[in-house]
Amino acid sequence: MFAYIVRRVAAGMVMILAMSLVTMLLFFASPADPARYTCGKNCTPQLLEQNRKALGYDQPVLSYWVDFTKGIFVGSEFPKDPALKKSAPETIADCPAPCLGYSPQSSRPVRDIIVEKLPVSASLAIAAFIMWMIAGVGLGIVAALRKGSIVDRAIVGSALVFYAFPTFFIGLGLYVFLALKWGIVPVPAYTSIADGGVGLWLQGLFLPALTLALVYIAGYIRLTRAFVLEVKGEDYLRTAQAKGLTSGRILFKHTLRGALTPIATVAGLDLGGLLGGTIITEQVFNYDGLGRTAVMAATTYDLPVTVGIVLVAATFVITANIVVDVLYAVIDPRVKYS
Amino acid sequence: MSSRKRTTALAALGVASVLGVSACGGGGTTGGTTSGSNAAGGAQKGGTIYMLTKRPAEHMDPQRTYIGRDIFNQQRLVYRGLLQFPAGKSGADAIVPIPDVATDTGKSEDGGKKWTFTIKDGVKWEDGKPTTCEDFKYGFSRNFATDVLTGGPSIYPLNFMPSVAKAYKGPYLKTGQDVYDKAVTCNGNVLTFNFEKPWADFPMAIAGLNFAAPFRQDKDQGDKNNFVIFSNGPYKAEGGKWTKGTGATFVRNDQYDPKTDGNRQANPDKFVFTEGLTNEIITQRLIADGGNDKYAITDRSIPPAFYNQITGDVAKRATNVPSPYTFYILPNFNKMKNLKVRQALAMSTDRAGYINALGGAKAATLAKSLVAPDLPGYKENPAFSSMPPSGDPVAAKKLLQEAGVAMPYPITYTYQGGTPTSDNAAAALKSGWDKAGFSVKLAPLTDTYYDVIQNPSNNSFDVTEGGWGADYPSIFTVLPALFDSRINLTGKSNGQDYGNYKNPDAEKIMDEAAAAPTADAANAKWQELDAFLGKDVAYIPNYIQNFYFLHGSGVGNYNQNPAVSQFPDLGVISVNK
Amino acid sequence: MSEIHRDVEFGAGTTDETFDLEQEPETKKIEGRTPWQLARARLRRDRLSMIALTVATIVVVMAILAPILDLLGVLKPNDFNPELIDPALGGYPRGAFGGMSWTHPLGVEPGTGRDTLSRVVLGLTFSLIVAISATLIAVVVGTVLGLISGFLGHWADWSISRLADMVLAFPVTLMLLALSGMFIDIIGKVVPNDNVATGIYIVFVLGFFGWPTFARIIRGQVLSMREREFIEAARSLGASNRRIYFKELLPNLWAPILVYGTLVLPAYVSAEAALSFLGVGIKPPTPTLGNILANSVNYASSVPIFFLVPGLAIATVVLSFNLLGDGLRDALDPKADR
Repeated sequence: MFAYIVRRVAAGMVMILAMSLVTMLLFFASPADPARYTCGKNCTPQLLEQNRKALGYDQPVLSYWVDFTKGIFVGSEFPKDPALKKSAPETIADCPAPCLGYSPQSSRPVRDIIVEKLPVSASLAIAAFIMWMIAGVGLGIVAALRKGSIVDRAIVGSALVFYAFPTFFIGLGLYVFLALKWGIVPVPAYTSIADGGVGLWLQGLFLPALTLALVYIAGYIRLTRAFVLEVKGEDYLRTAQAKGLTSGRILFKHTLRGALTPIATVAGLDLGGLLGGTIITEQVFNYDGLGRTAVMAATTYDLPVTVGIVLVAATFVITANIVVDVLYAVIDPRVKYS
Repeated sequence: MSSRKRTTALAALGVASVLGVSACGGGGTTGGTTSGSNAAGGAQKGGTIYMLTKRPAEHMDPQRTYIGRDIFNQQRLVYRGLLQFPAGKSGADAIVPIPDVATDTGKSEDGGKKWTFTIKDGVKWEDGKPTTCEDFKYGFSRNFATDVLTGGPSIYPLNFMPSVAKAYKGPYLKTGQDVYDKAVTCNGNVLTFNFEKPWADFPMAIAGLNFAAPFRQDKDQGDKNNFVIFSNGPYKAEGGKWTKGTGATFVRNDQYDPKTDGNRQANPDKFVFTEGLTNEIITQRLIADGGNDKYAITDRSIPPAFYNQITGDVAKRATNVPSPYTFYILPNFNKMKNLKVRQALAMSTDRAGYINALGGAKAATLAKSLVAPDLPGYKENPAFSSMPPSGDPVAAKKLLQEAGVAMPYPITYTYQGGTPTSDNAAAALKSGWDKAGFSVKLAPLTDTYYDVIQNPSNNSFDVTEGGWGADYPSIFTVLPALFDSRINLTGKSNGQDYGNYKNPDAEKIMDEAAAAPTADAANAKWQELDAFLGKDVAYIPNYIQNFYFLHGSGVGNYNQNPAVSQFPDLGVISVNK
Repeated sequence: MSEIHRDVEFGAGTTDETFDLEQEPETKKIEGRTPWQLARARLRRDRLSMIALTVATIVVVMAILAPILDLLGVLKPNDFNPELIDPALGGYPRGAFGGMSWTHPLGVEPGTGRDTLSRVVLGLTFSLIVAISATLIAVVVGTVLGLISGFLGHWADWSISRLADMVLAFPVTLMLLALSGMFIDIIGKVVPNDNVATGIYIVFVLGFFGWPTFARIIRGQVLSMREREFIEAARSLGASNRRIYFKELLPNLWAPILVYGTLVLPAYVSAEAALSFLGVGIKPPTPTLGNILANSVNYASSVPIFFLVPGLAIATVVLSFNLLGDGLRDALDPKADR
């Protein structure tokens, strides 16, 4: 087991490095010149050249990548200009390992930006996760138990309807009508727990988390329903029934345990995908998390930030995969890894 | 500035070019607007003002800030420079520089080449240390560090000190420090700038831009300072910095002594800036006027989608004034070489139809020159004064016939497409031109727009459009920036000269204007230049963009004026409790 | 379980259940009908799926007819109707319900007076072209790589699986956004029209990030089938590998491809809308469901009808294809108890 985990983690790290190279190759293929973007209105060719050098885009992609990778393990400093360091060391930004590069447009190391924005995305992801897990699994069980009834149809049907609308449509609709037009809920704005306490934090999270939860909930209702129905049909439950166990006990002790394991694994993967930022929801609600930061970086050619967030998001996905696989092995003794 | 019709920040994607990022300070148009129950004198102190905005600030370092909105918000709240514009005044009075940290508006000698200022006592930084002459000298030196500090308007100081710029690489590398030390000197509290060319409107430039703001050497960390705010003004940033993508909160600076100022009213206790919202959300929040949004202001116009909701009480909270940004249509001189054809084009341009497409009179006002009406020296361009707002297709057809070209004359109009508004506006132009005997092909471009129009050898379009606002209240920052081929036509790009205009006669007038020792003499020359460009149809003035802002019901002393580029003036604003 | 990284934020995502055709051969023996006949019979009995099939068919027929009707002048998606809007109110449609009338049954677009029905119907065409092309690319690439992976095994299987892992770990929305500027520029050098370039870009990137799902499904099918009697029988009869692929395997892969294709397609319709919302989609005047919707969300409170029409149009497409996909799966996979 331990050897298995080590192997998976090592493979994951190699994969992330490979992804960083691929991402940079893609970005460097660009005919667009990021230096132009930072150069300002009255840009001259000399200024442009200086900008390009300051950004590090004057070097070939491979050496840029090697620098970047080195930074992850041993840290780095910006700008890499020995003359400047000698005469004005206070202007050099220190970026300890794991350094993910330096954003010329935010004038700070990418890791600092990510550390600052991650709690926003994580709050949103976790709040939404709790909402959809409770509602999705609950409604899924109800639907399964009342299979074929009007309740079943209503639950599955309405969930599917939310699933069919694009996220931004649902989000903006909720925002405009619930918060602005009718004033039922306060205008959503992220307040960290440190700044406003748990109350304001939750209040700010409500609408965006609800949006995200509505999008995901359909999948969970259907999954839960399907798994519960599947498990209900399995032999050991028929045995339990034959043994004369009450239906309540059967449901909770046997059916749910069997059904929840696969749901938990899917949920883990979904959460992993969301921790790296939810682009559209953050954009709609002006949540300054990783997703919206990434959009801003992508639209202003802030390559280091874009690459950094791509890699962080990928790390969450890969980690979630590993965690889920390992947990699966722990929970379900039938699964064996060698 | 070409910040044209970017209805969403995201549309900027692909607008790879730098042009997308610039916007400009200074200048403005007559008639400030004031509302709120309190007169300027008796505003209430205290409370919090909330600024809701869309576009993220790119710099908070004074030497690097080049966006009008940010320059003036910084000046009113945290950065005091040598000079400033008066708060809460309207019209031409608003853009008369007045002393800030300097005791007077400066003395010029040597035909405008040498400028001296005396620094006031008692102006302190937020840590209690005095703002000194050395701080100003150091701040100005940062303009020369073009390798570390990018994005700012350093082109102005560098342009007037070319040999210093060649030798001196800024305070970080310190090469050529002795050259700089001779160009800018401190003698006690007397600061002297020795320029190599006359700079008649230098006071205007330093009141309208922040490149001459003071900077504390011991606080300077180069690029790392980009979002750090170290104040000598009435407020200071909580946490000492701006957070990109979120904004900042400004609270009172206890080291600020209003007696040294006399201009900034500094009424609210707090300013909270939130950036990254969309125009639609901002507008709907301000219409709803709930909670803290009662004390909210914005620098984003109401989109036409909401015009029908601006009625009754909401309409009382809406202000509609011309912005400092003028938009123009321009022929590509690589192709439209026949003057008569260009005249016919101008004469048949349906500007009224265009403005209707933008949302009507609330969204835009007809322009009579590329120069904004509130710039000193503004005069209607005589070449366009007889042009009716909807164009005159009959007169235009006659001109086209006189040109002796085959009709219908085919032209391609390229514009930044992708929104119903821009397509609608282009359709209005097409119909006017078609009536005059042109055969117009519309070529909306999205991602490749700037690649196409900035390519000096591109002949794929005949006509395109542009937009511009002055960097500071001087025509020097308008016409040469757009039509001087010597600074624009450099190899692979035509810079801001999208029409590839190149005319030695025009450039001669520009040089004469720039060398003029007094502002009045310069202005006479600028008018001559504008008339020349009009006669040559280097451009066709289209419209002045209007600001149509809402503010919350609890905002007092609300004022927009040319001193702050017609944005809400934070120097006078207050909260009604 | 850990097979598919779902990017549900886009709207409809793909589902995670594995596909199982295992019982088919047995049923065949007993009833003497082909699995296809069985499936068709089962589908016909499923009322919801039949409704979904009908709606989906109408959608596709409308999408095919729209360009013809446009050429004939029946649809007028790009005709400005300034007389139908009020410039004093910022282009608000004149008349009740967003300017509804006999000539404009769904009202007109605020600001331009263009006919909403024409734009939505033609938008359907462009949206479906994008979604179908992207699905085809994902299917073709996925099937080829899945077959190679499943049949060759060893290093080919290993490298394709790792590649798929990597592609799935990328945050798709962010990559689409980040790469758009540069790639549309590059494609734009070859094709004359910005919107064609954008369309090609979206199709290829969606397809590129979509193939691993199909590759894994196909690989799984191949692995399970490879061991089954009919392949071994074919092999023992001396059939060449190529023959086995095409004659024996492909027919058995049809079902999962059809099911997942039907489920992925609506996800791509939503993805196109999400991209329009983020500002990198196909731009007007070319209508797509996405860019109409991205424009219409701004009118949620001022012209509600204009907000609802494109939203409902997209939901109809997504919902009908999703339900059809579900129905197909149930019909083709009798083990699933739903």
